[in-house]
Amino acid sequence: MGKGHSIMTRTAISVDHIARIEGHGNVHVQIEEGRVKDVQMNIVEPARLFESMVKGRSYKEVSYIASRICGICSASHVVTDLKAIEAVFGVEVSKRTKMIRELLIYGSYLQNHAAHLFVFAAPDFIGQPSVFPLAESDPDLFRRALELKGFGNELCTAVGGRSIHPITAVVGGFTHEVTPAEYERLADRMEALVPFAKSVVDLFAGFPICDISSEGDMLALVEPGAYPVQSSSTMRFADTDEEFNADCFADHIEEYTVGHSAAYFAQRRSTGRPYMTSALARVNVSWDNLGKEAKVASAKAGLRPPEHNPLLNNVAQAVELVDSLERCAGICRELAKGAGSSKPVAFTPQAGRGVGVTEAPRGLVFHELELDECGDVVHASIVTPTSQNLANMECDIRLLAETLAATGIDEDTLRLEIEKLIRAYDPCLSCSVH
Amino acid sequence: MRNYCNNPASSAVERSCAPVPRVAVVGLASCFGCQLQITNREQYLLDVIGQIDLQYWQLASSDPMPDAFDIVIIEGAVTTQESLETVKALREKASTVIAIGACANTAGIPGIAAFEYEPRASQVYDNLPTACGHLIVPQSVPSVIDVDFQVPCCPIDFQSFVEVLSQALYGSNRTNPSRTLCGDCKRNETSCFYGQGEICMGMVTAAGCGARCTALGRPCNGCAGLSKDACLESAREAVVRYGCDVAEFDRRLQLFNQTDEALLMQGADGEGA
Repeated sequence: MGKGHSIMTRTAISVDHIARIEGHGNVHVQIEEGRVKDVQMNIVEPARLFESMVKGRSYKEVSYIASRICGICSASHVVTDLKAIEAVFGVEVSKRTKMIRELLIYGSYLQNHAAHLFVFAAPDFIGQPSVFPLAESDPDLFRRALELKGFGNELCTAVGGRSIHPITAVVGGFTHEVTPAEYERLADRMEALVPFAKSVVDLFAGFPICDISSEGDMLALVEPGAYPVQSSSTMRFADTDEEFNADCFADHIEEYTVGHSAAYFAQRRSTGRPYMTSALARVNVSWDNLGKEAKVASAKAGLRPPEHNPLLNNVAQAVELVDSLERCAGICRELAKGAGSSKPVAFTPQAGRGVGVTEAPRGLVFHELELDECGDVVHASIVTPTSQNLANMECDIRLLAETLAATGIDEDTLRLEIEKLIRAYDPCLSCSVH
Repeated sequence: MRNYCNNPASSAVERSCAPVPRVAVVGLASCFGCQLQITNREQYLLDVIGQIDLQYWQLASSDPMPDAFDIVIIEGAVTTQESLETVKALREKASTVIAIGACANTAGIPGIAAFEYEPRASQVYDNLPTACGHLIVPQSVPSVIDVDFQVPCCPIDFQSFVEVLSQALYGSNRTNPSRTLCGDCKRNETSCFYGQGEICMGMVTAAGCGARCTALGRPCNGCAGLSKDACLESAREAVVRYGCDVAEFDRRLQLFNQTDEALLMQGADGEGA
């Protein structure tokens, strides 16, 4: 155990500038007599005011601007915006365009999950401040982890034109596509990476974690026979089957402000309780439709629904690495056959309201847009995965701290366990304060 | 702006006594994408890190910020009083400052908010959380402190970053190109968007990005910032000649150049069209 003092009657634990997460945030936990008095996720990321910045801008620029909310989730913000704009204009995109959008989003899953698992989360479990010492202690694992993450970049570059902030995805389709031979090559690479991805599931399933169960429900997209990341606009709370369409998302989830966070918090309207959206939520909601290899790997790792331990989001992300590779190899083989076109379809801008929703790597993201008859933005509302998760994260930190305080754990170890929990959520604070 | 580029003797390696320069990476208001562009080149990352003593990189390591370092790499725009003080302190501590990405160099996308800034926060928040810090009108890093090197674009190109880092480490007499992007399209034999009646920022935007967007079917959005050689007046004349809307051209200019003096100086012409 750690070298710190054991928790006495009154303890205040603070981590300023939580490292190895995207963005700037602090956490403060106050414990008295073994009870947690207060938990605050203090999100200090500067507000960039995106919703006001896109106002008055043309629909042509909106996805370009909104993509800059977050480097890692840029593909998700772009596709979400395009869905919202296409809903307003009544644009129906081709099957081929939908397949390529799927690749773009899965490319960002590979980038995000591999980066999060190895660069952000793994150092906690190997007792290091960063991933770099792994280059010497386990060069093979280090090389293969970077190779997997690098492949995510390669896929996003092939489809979107560069590894982040995709260039080619526009309203109605894509401005550029790679050759059939390139799709075949990508599929070969994906199939070759599956065995390593499966070993990543085993690796993370083997790391010891605290046994807690989040009381919050889980929210994810649903679609019959699918593991939807962009193809559906219907979502469900896992435990209660409360199902709704993106159009009326504000009737089911409610954003609110707290003084200690520049990010909005969110709760479920019907219960007034927080909830989680994430890879773990997706695995819970769409377990039946995971790819074959991914489902086997998940079951072997002991991750099956219902699973409410947020620390297992790491394992869920690893399962999604396997799933993404399996799924995208199939999509690439199909695209290589060359059927259909992804050329942007013709449309006429018109006024109206549209809501786009996708499963970003970290969970559900909503873009609500109101456009005028020229297609200029009149009103925008953006709800990101992390702002939905922060309230649930505070509840889980409380639960974890009380569970561990009861075991007489020392302060340094508790601080690390709290950081591990925060990192397991894979928070994206730059998204959360947009 | 101080510019050490032309004097190899002033490279960070020679200026400091330490054999390996100590480097800190700091993120301000941004999407973190430029830092990701660095981590996204996995195969070269260790080669780069092997040449520096990486002292602080909050994105990748929980090691705390040290008191002293030689080079600071700054990503993001200055949008709070706190970050304004941070960059001033960083300038004091570091012998070399490298600004990476559009946010740092032109205030970039966060800079859009600089136009009629006052009501914006209340459009997004009913009650502004205290955790936001003291929000100020977005500014670029070079408008606040002297910057020694700049890596342009949104996001940065890894190759440009490595070139600039090696300039900072070992000295070089190369400078960032000042020509406009238009010539690069000619060289790449990319057909012109104006021919299709579409507005493109290539006429006034600094080259150096390799014209990736235009090669992939998207007009330039101007993320590299205005070229020093740009002539806005003749560009506007060309826009009219091609039958495009000048007001739309001006609106598009604001995307990455809202706080650029060249635009601010023209008053109403360049603003809020």
